[in-house]
This record gives sequence, C-alpha cells and structure tokens, in this order.
Amino acid sequence: MKTVNVSICTGTTCYLMGGAHLLTFDEMLDPCTADHVSICGSHCLGLCNDESNGKPPFVKVNDQVISDATLNKVLDKVREEIEEDAHVS
Amino acid sequence: MKSLFTELEFHQVRKHSQHTAGDAFMVHKDSENHRLLAVLSDGLGSGVKANILANMTAKMAIKFAETHTDFVHYAKVIMNSLPVCQVRKIAYSTFTVVDCRPDGSVHIVEQGNPPFILLRDGAPVEIPFQEYGSEQGDYRKLRVYRFNAQPEDRIVFFSDGVTESGMGSEGYPLGWRNKGCAEFSHGLVEHDPKISARLLAKQIVRGALQREPDRRAYDDITCGVLYFRTPRQTLLASGPPFSDKKDREYADRVRTFNGCTIVSGGTSADIVAREFGADIETDLFRFKRSKLPPISRMDGVDLVTEGILTLTETLNLLDGKERPAQPNAATLLSDQLVNSDIIHILVGTRINQAHQDPNLPVELEIRRSLMRRIATTLEDRYFKEVKLEFI
Repeated sequence: MKTVNVSICTGTTCYLMGGAHLLTFDEMLDPCTADHVSICGSHCLGLCNDESNGKPPFVKVNDQVISDATLNKVLDKVREEIEEDAHVS
Repeated sequence: MKSLFTELEFHQVRKHSQHTAGDAFMVHKDSENHRLLAVLSDGLGSGVKANILANMTAKMAIKFAETHTDFVHYAKVIMNSLPVCQVRKIAYSTFTVVDCRPDGSVHIVEQGNPPFILLRDGAPVEIPFQEYGSEQGDYRKLRVYRFNAQPEDRIVFFSDGVTESGMGSEGYPLGWRNKGCAEFSHGLVEHDPKISARLLAKQIVRGALQREPDRRAYDDITCGVLYFRTPRQTLLASGPPFSDKKDREYADRVRTFNGCTIVSGGTSADIVAREFGADIETDLFRFKRSKLPPISRMDGVDLVTEGILTLTETLNLLDGKERPAQPNAATLLSDQLVNSDIIHILVGTRINQAHQDPNLPVELEIRRSLMRRIATTLEDRYFKEVKLEFI
C-alpha cells in the first residue's frame, strides 16, 4: 500500500489562521492509519497569495490542496486516499 | 584597525555584609568617533559611602575623557582633586581608566588599583608605564600605559577585592595577588581560546570568591574584561525584494556573506532556495510545543525561520521578555544576534498581500518598521554594530 503524503503549511498566514493547530495532526491518527501517512511541514506552500486557492490554512494531501483546512477535513481526505488506494489494489 | 571588535563586560560581587557595591564600573561608547571608555573605581570603605565615592570618581573620569582633554592631564586633575582621608591617610577612591582610540591605540591610567593584566595570545605580557606623583605630596602615583591593541588581546582589570581575596588564609597569606589572578586567567584562555569577555570576567570573580574564607566576599570584587577580536558577523535577510529583478542579488548577498546567515520568511526562503537550487526541509517536530512556526533547513543557510511572527517574538526577547522554558525559533534567532558583533539586516520591502487580510487574528506589523525596531534595540541595548539595508 502506498503512503499518503500530508504537507502542512507553516507560513505566517496559514499558521495564524489555524495551521498551528494542524501541527498536532499526527496525534489524532490511529496507529493503523499512521503507518500509511507521512507528515511533513512546508515553510510556505505559497498558496495564500491567490484567492482562487481558497482560504488559509492550506494543507496538501498527495498534491491535492485542502483550503480552510481543519484536522477533520485533513483526516477525511487521508482516509479517502487510503480507501481509494485499497480499491485500486 | 577599525575592523577589530571590542567586547567589554564586567562582573561584580559586593562585600557580603553590604547591600550596595563600593566599586563602580562605567562605560562610555562613542560610536561616532569609535572610541570606547571604561572606568573602574573603588571607593574607600564599603557600602553606600564607597559607592558614592566610586561613582563620583568614575563619572568624573568619563566626563573628562569625553572632552578630549589630554589623557595624563585629566588623570592628574582627578587625582589631585580627590582628597586623602585625614584619618586613614589613604585616597578616597582609586581608579583605572581604559581608553580605546579609533587608531587602535589603548591608553590606560591607573591610580591605586592593582595593575591590569594584558593577555596577548592568552599569556600575560608586561607593558612599560610612566609614573607621575601626586601634587599633594602624598604616596599616590599615576601609572600611564600606552600600547597598540592586537587581535585577540584581552585587558583584564579589577579592584583590589580580586588581588586581595583569600588574604590571611593558609593557602594565600598575602591574598591571591596579581600573579595568581594572571595565572588563573591564562589558564582559562588556554582552555578556551575564544572565551568571551563576559565569561572571563565572571570566572575571575568566581575564582576570587573561591579563595575567600567561607566563599564570602570580604571586600567588593569587581573585574572588567576588554576583548579585542575579529568581529563575528551575522546576516539576517527577511522579506522578498521589492522588485523580482533583485532576487538574484538578494540570494548572492546570502551566498557570499562571510559569517552566519539567517533567512526569515517563507517567500524569502523560497527565493534563496530557487537561486541556490537547494531544497528546504521543514522540521515539524523539533519545537512542536512552541507557540511559533517551526524552523527549516536549507543548504548554504545557517537558519531558516518563518518571518513576521518569529521576528516579533525575537524583538520581545531582545527587549527582555522572559525566555520560554523550551527553545524555539525566536530564541535561536535572538541568541545568534546577541552572540554577533556586527549584524547586517537586509530587508526586502515587497508587501505580502495575504498579510493584509483583515480576518487575520493578530496585528501583523509591517516588516520595515519591525526590522528597524530590532536594529535599534540591538544598537542601543546590546551595543551592536548594525547595518540596516532595504532592497
């Protein structure tokens, strides 16, 4: 099974708009899911400068942008990715 | 010679039975004329009286020196104007004035204080001096020294609390004496050739205190250290340049800088990484409990942090805010600034549109004014040489 890559933006805007809270994402993963997720930080994804990207904070899950990200939104997306991967394989 | 940086620090312990130190240490830095003055004065007796005598003498010396009066002349005036105690027949106060001139020469005048120690390449060296007697026909003498400072020279000067520590004890019947202190300092510098003036002064005072019976100071113990060293330089680059045509120049400044480099800000880091062809790695977990965004790593740059939030906190720390228990990006940044002698601040002035969003929960200061405040604090509070530049 492939790994789901989660990239959390820690730039000023994202950090202030809720990104600080997203840094605890690793703590809400159950061990089974955690095995398939790789979390990394980004100093700035550079998405906040264009309104068409939506609102900060931004998180990328396998290169898909989640705007106005919350822990639950990211978790849902990660689960979706894992399930999709399971279907394919 | 101007390229030599002078680090001046002192440490003091007051006599254990007193609430006020009877030694005074005063510094005057004239950055326009690149002149540095330090005065150490020991007032007769201890406590408040000694404090007043010492402070008066030190202030007098500083004021006199500032006026560019001839060095020997003003020292004589001070000595001759200070009376001798009628009861004890000793001077009201003693002093050491260290005067560093922009041409690299050092003038030192001593009256009554133990002779200073010059550590050159770590070892004590003798410096010739001239002596002038007192006009009042008493025992007092002025010792005047003139020499040129060399890189890595350290001038150690102190009150008699240092040389007379342990006096009368079995190990040190005549006290620690100049020789003992010189050997001790020599040992410290040999052990750590880059030891800072701050630490050396502190260790010498501690050394003196250890020789005192019960480790209690029986006299005011004050030690000042002046360290001439090649300056430690740091470049703090923050903010993208106003015009993207300057991006290359911006990155080149970081690349060619001779010293420690810091980049603060996401976009700034991106620009530098792009021009360097380097990758940025963000360490999410190192300072996880911190209230600041994490730091990142990039080849060719010593420290990469987020911009405005980290810099605002850095300014707070420099202004004396209590440090958090755990290190974070701002403590790393402020430590690096405080440990540098010359700080170049390169501020990119392009406005970050995203920061103008009124929905952002805190006030985000404009980078230009924030950086200017950091520069002023470093200059005024930490006596750093700061070069602020906008790009």
